[in-house]
Amino acid sequence: MARHIAHRLMISLPVLLGVLLIGFLLLQVVPTDPATVLAGPTATAAEVAAIRQQLGLDQPLWVQFANYLGRVLQLDLGRSMISNRPVSEEIALTFWPTVELMLACLVWAVPLGIALGTLAARRRGTLIDRAIMALSVMGVSVPVFWVGLLLIQHVGGAGLLPFQGRNGPIWTGAGLLSLILPAATLGAVFVGPVARMTRTSLLETLGADYVRTARAKGASDWRVTIHHALRNAMIPVVTLVGLQIGFLLGGSIVTETMFAWPGVGRMAVGAITSSDFPLAQGAILVLAVGFMMVNLIVDVLYAYLDPRIARS
Amino acid sequence: MTDVALTLQSEADQKAIAALRRKNAVWRRILRDPPAAAAALFLLLVVMAAIFAPWVAPFDPYANNMRLRLCPPGGERCAAFLLGADNQGRDMLSRIVFGLRATLGMGVLAVVVGGGLGALIGLSAAYFKRLDTPLMRLVDVLLSFPSILFGLAIAAVMGTGLVSLVIALSVAAIPSIARIARGAAQSIMQQEYMEAGRAVGLGDGALLWRYLALNCWPTILIYMTLQLGQAILLGAALSFLGLGAQPPTAELGSMAADGRKFLQIAPWVSTLPCAAIFLVVLAFNVLGDALRDALDPKLRQ
Repeated sequence: MARHIAHRLMISLPVLLGVLLIGFLLLQVVPTDPATVLAGPTATAAEVAAIRQQLGLDQPLWVQFANYLGRVLQLDLGRSMISNRPVSEEIALTFWPTVELMLACLVWAVPLGIALGTLAARRRGTLIDRAIMALSVMGVSVPVFWVGLLLIQHVGGAGLLPFQGRNGPIWTGAGLLSLILPAATLGAVFVGPVARMTRTSLLETLGADYVRTARAKGASDWRVTIHHALRNAMIPVVTLVGLQIGFLLGGSIVTETMFAWPGVGRMAVGAITSSDFPLAQGAILVLAVGFMMVNLIVDVLYAYLDPRIARS
Repeated sequence: MTDVALTLQSEADQKAIAALRRKNAVWRRILRDPPAAAAALFLLLVVMAAIFAPWVAPFDPYANNMRLRLCPPGGERCAAFLLGADNQGRDMLSRIVFGLRATLGMGVLAVVVGGGLGALIGLSAAYFKRLDTPLMRLVDVLLSFPSILFGLAIAAVMGTGLVSLVIALSVAAIPSIARIARGAAQSIMQQEYMEAGRAVGLGDGALLWRYLALNCWPTILIYMTLQLGQAILLGAALSFLGLGAQPPTAELGSMAADGRKFLQIAPWVSTLPCAAIFLVVLAFNVLGDALRDALDPKLRQ
């Protein structure tokens, strides 16, 4: 187990360095020279040079990269060029709304997907199975922004639910209401893959020997499905849900942008389109590191659920 | 080897075998599956329309006419515009045809570039055993990373635009193709003719290209096609976010984003491009599933 975790960390390390390198490069392409900006318009060349030295901008690139790593470790990600607030503060503000949105999506989409997948596997080959699988292919193919646009047009436009921004934390009524449409949008594209994975995995498990044994001792059909097969079928589903977090991340960036949801993804897109390099760098860094952490946790969880994985 | 044995059989046997082969050819199996056949036909039409867009589109996709602004499909003002007009009075149908061209074009380009690189990585990993671990570790790293983040990072470094978009989509296509190519190449590496080629003194280059690559490419090509749907969806999403194609370029994702402002008064301006993306990606996915079933004998019934 410990070896498995160590191995996973070894894989994550180069990714982390790569991500940090991209973050560092982003700050290098800033078209304006930070020293000139800081020194102000009336500064002499000598003053600019002094500030350069003070900031370490006269050092070779690799020293600057090392300095950058040091600053990131201290959570110093620079200041936004537009709001002039520390990037870490901006991220702290947007982090929770993103987590909230993702959890709200998983909370309804995963159970529904598992239920639909189980139903499809149980009724394999019937019209129900075909209908569920057709829906699932459609769910995988639909652009997430179309789902959002349809909901905004028909539900939000009719004044049934708010669709502009986050009206408060999730535990307040207004906050919860404003979360419904974004979570519905993001979840809609997530149900399909989960249903599909559950169906495939369950069909495999239903053919296993222990399922036949359970049937032989007279357990009812649904009992066999839920107690014996589904539990084992869940193992790959859990990992695949974890792996799909990347897919979810993509969807959440689009969803946040559409619904003016104040999350990290929307902030990243805004920072990129407005050339706010320090903010873009920070946001991308946080998204990447957050994604890696989730992956790591899912991986360890998987090894815990299925000890065969860690041993192989 | 079986082929040599078969040629010795009687003419009647040969005929029967040829008939069986034709019956079980991949494309025939697909045609027997109605949704897959419909998807294939639809994609054929879409690809033709995209290639011949200047001849297919009834109007100039960039010619605006403010008098026809937001004219609905079937509206009297713009009877010639089958799908209505957008916020600048441009013909929606022509814009969608050109939009398909841009969206499909960037998808194909990305899958060809990224898939080509991926195939090179996969084949090298299978051929040069020493490279296997480092190359596949690299692929794991790429695979573990959400493709949308490539899009964000590349747009941030290189600026927004179609070039950044295609690069991001290409990078996203590398890892899965590399895995498929490696798998396909590994099974060919065990064939006797690889050993025979080495025995007659062929160099690495010749073995890699003439023996390995030419035997793997059908599999790789099919998986590249499967990747197209995903590439299109990702590209459209990035364009929708304003990180890819920029207005006034007729590209489906950015058209959908452009029409958002008029969602309540003229929903067709953004809905129609969305529907076009959906149908194309759906067709790729339906066809992809059928191809996978046809190629995987385990699933065939």
